[in-house]
Amino acid sequence: MTDLTMHLTTEEIELWAQGLLPAARALHLSDCSLCRVEADRERKVILELVQLPHFAPTAGFAERVLAQVKVPTPSDSWKI
Amino acid sequence: MSAASDQQVVAWAKQGHDAAFRELVRRYERPVFSLLYRMVRDRALAEDLAQETFIKVLNGIKSYRPEFKFSSWIFKIANNAAIDHLRRKNIDTLSLDGAPSAETPEQMRATSLQLGDRAESPLDEVENRELGTAIERAIGRLRPEYKSCILLRHVEGYSYEEIAETLDLPLGTVKTYIHRARNELRGYLEDRRD
Repeated sequence: MTDLTMHLTTEEIELWAQGLLPAARALHLSDCSLCRVEADRERKVILELVQLPHFAPTAGFAERVLAQVKVPTPSDSWKI
Repeated sequence: MSAASDQQVVAWAKQGHDAAFRELVRRYERPVFSLLYRMVRDRALAEDLAQETFIKVLNGIKSYRPEFKFSSWIFKIANNAAIDHLRRKNIDTLSLDGAPSAETPEQMRATSLQLGDRAESPLDEVENRELGTAIERAIGRLRPEYKSCILLRHVEGYSYEEIAETLDLPLGTVKTYIHRARNELRGYLEDRRD
């Protein structure tokens, strides 16, 4: 059993920020202002990070790549 | 094909199906390009490195070992390409006072970087818009190894163990890097708010 007075670890804070920390451990936050402040600050950064978008390369990227790829032919697999 | 697992698509690619290669590019062009773009902060360069990564991966598809995740393999190669580039760039960086070989004031002037010489191109504008937010600028200030870890963790949603495998780092190091990276990001973002 985990002691409720034990401060949250970095990984537990990350889990909490993602809503994944087991309720029994999350209870600690209601009693510990130190962990609560730390967890709130951490959550803000994590939220900004998880909302970052993916960027797309310019149009025709796949064609430019595939033009330089040698697709193995079925007969290649017979060669030793 | 879009519902198939990566392992299945790779198996088809190994058998020589064109469509499987195209599918692998479709699945990973954005994640790989985004990682590289945030690492080097230059669109054209990131695209060159992404192209280099895909060509290496797809031409070497027969050597892919299915016990590893395909995504780990491609991110490993992309990350190595970015780190290699950043190392070379550090060595090649020109001083504001001119090339190291410049001996006379004229030579120094001729080889020095002229800040403000270049008008902002349309590509610069796109880069400023895409990477100009506070969080993107803060990420840009991180050390490359912190950047890779934090981007794989929070943008790609990798577990610590997957990051360790992808970047060939001990698990403890990955945890330390991510913790330090978030601390630094918090510092940069809080400085901005003050």
